[in-house]
Amino acid sequence: MIRLDFNENPHPPPRIVVEEARRGLSEVTRYCEVKYLEELKLLIGEYTNIPRDRIIVSPGSDIILREIIHTFSVNRKVIMLNPSFFPALECARRHSRKILKFQVTPPDFKLNAEILMKEIKEPSLVIIDNPNNPTGMEFLNHDLVIKLLDNKNTMLVIDEAYYEFSRKTFSGLISNYSNLAITRTLDKGFSLAGLRIGFLLAGDMFKEGLSDFATILPRPSVYAAIAALKNREYVRENVERIISERERLISELKELGVEAYPSATNFILIRSDILGLSEKLRIKGIAIKDLSSEWIPGYYRVSIGLPEENDFLVKSLKELLNYES
Amino acid sequence: MMRVGLIVNPIAGMGGSVGLKGTDGEAYRRALELGAKPVSPGRIRYLLSLIKRRDIFFLVAPKRMGENYVRDTDFRYEVVGSVGEETSAEDTKRIAREIVANGIDLLVFVGGDGTARDIADAVDLKVPVLAIPSGVKMFSSVFVLSPNAAANIIDSFNKETPLIEREVMDIDEEAFRKNRLAARLYSYLKVPGIELLLQAGKEASNISKSEEAQKKEIAEYIVENIEEGYVYFLGPGTTLKAIADRIGVSKTLLGIDAVYNGRLVGKDLNEKGLLKLIHTYGKAKIIVTPIGGNGFIFGRASKQFTPEVLRRVGKENIIVVGTKGKVLKLKCLRVDTGDEGVDRMLAGPIKVVTGYREEVVMEVRV
Repeated sequence: MIRLDFNENPHPPPRIVVEEARRGLSEVTRYCEVKYLEELKLLIGEYTNIPRDRIIVSPGSDIILREIIHTFSVNRKVIMLNPSFFPALECARRHSRKILKFQVTPPDFKLNAEILMKEIKEPSLVIIDNPNNPTGMEFLNHDLVIKLLDNKNTMLVIDEAYYEFSRKTFSGLISNYSNLAITRTLDKGFSLAGLRIGFLLAGDMFKEGLSDFATILPRPSVYAAIAALKNREYVRENVERIISERERLISELKELGVEAYPSATNFILIRSDILGLSEKLRIKGIAIKDLSSEWIPGYYRVSIGLPEENDFLVKSLKELLNYES
Repeated sequence: MMRVGLIVNPIAGMGGSVGLKGTDGEAYRRALELGAKPVSPGRIRYLLSLIKRRDIFFLVAPKRMGENYVRDTDFRYEVVGSVGEETSAEDTKRIAREIVANGIDLLVFVGGDGTARDIADAVDLKVPVLAIPSGVKMFSSVFVLSPNAAANIIDSFNKETPLIEREVMDIDEEAFRKNRLAARLYSYLKVPGIELLLQAGKEASNISKSEEAQKKEIAEYIVENIEEGYVYFLGPGTTLKAIADRIGVSKTLLGIDAVYNGRLVGKDLNEKGLLKLIHTYGKAKIIVTPIGGNGFIFGRASKQFTPEVLRRVGKENIIVVGTKGKVLKLKCLRVDTGDEGVDRMLAGPIKVVTGYREEVVMEVRV
């Protein structure tokens, strides 16, 4: 099965990264020493240009979001977009004063900023993924972020899981705005989904309320992450390959008559009238993400795979379209 | 052994290829004259070929309405009822009732909106129904996406399968042929919650509760926030019924009822009745749920909420509710009240209650 349904990066990291993970496994009887965790933070600090004391590392960014919701959503309204995939939201149902989602939909895919500004008059925890998963689009701009942050009732978390692809970050605002936090991950751009290393760049309000997860990180993940951050030129190369494939795939899909939307990530949003498209592709050996269980039917998210995987997708879609017509 | 009822509308969908938008009434003969080919037999044969489980006993309608297709498989079956050479809506209704009376776990039918209406006339919300689309018009939200999806559901169906209510729409075919969409909510059927069945993987669905549980949550939240001094008009639908249940009053499923301070003060109201209650109590709120699939809140399902009623109530007193399984699948909410001014008043963002302390900002489009 060709997996194009989890937004994974198909290009492997350099051999040294995998070797370091193996070395970690060979020392599996021991917890990870603090010195390695400190080194990891130091390297993340260098990579993000954020002081080490503002960095919280955790096994995947879901865990940090869960902790943020636990700690900060009590008596706050939690605001987010739909569609968005935040398993951590389940906690918000128990803790928060209210959950408010903004449904973003075609054709204009617009976040109603005017209504958003009205809603944050009450204490709010706003969690927005930028770029958004699964649309691949960016809903935040500098002006909107500043307006949100200038409201002291608001705590803003921006998930920048796809930063390496979008190359846009709001991390420069963290030192000036205590109510801003940014989640990142090595899952996507660094091709390390299986190691689950996430981190938070925390403004003061977040930093003071959250504790560090570094001590629960697995030794193989820490070793590999250190090696990845020390050899990060591979990230740029892999990202460029994916971006170039992404643009090729979008253009080929459009030629077939499949709607494919612009993306700032390693996946694309497509729309097709083929009934049960994901099932039909699964039969052909390709898995894509059908969004109809929580968003508009007919829309699918497709990760950018290896060139031959993308070719096979285009070929399969062409066959299905010919068959349907 | 799972007992599955099967009814096929053999002529559903024949109008499509010859541009007739349906096969109700005389249109069927016209479709035949134009050389239309049956669509349903291919659909049902394909579905039967995809079903993997073999512990199924089919109770099938006779001849072209079911028997002919199951006969060619190795499934065990029994024919229920009898039909003549030409079949009609009455046959569908009668045989559906007979099949249900024989005891079944699931009723599968193949057809379009018209067939869905016939099935809804014959069976109640106790019977889970799997609707396979083969009609020309399928505005009803009961239909599964494809025979593949249907086969998956049949293969995994059991007594624990979550069930959700979906709308059956009544479309005026004559108007539809003239490119006018005259639709109204006709009834409800209970269908397997396919999205709940298909959840998998890391990105597990945010919608983890059953439709019934979601409706109860919505009802709880609405009732907690009821404001004194307002008369509440509850629109059609089972979400509104859940609210009525929580208040402790009975609900007309397809009509509008009124509640004031926890008491039922109007039943199955028309425009006149609604206006009279607004006059009596001074302040009113409307609670409605959108139609699944197309998102209409006014102008389709509850025409009793006329432009005059809506003007008097005002947008600020309209509360929209709906389960996440329905609301999050909509691009927008829609209105078509027949009054441009009222449509404009209703247009723009509105919050929809989707759970206990959970809301979604949606756009109302005209």
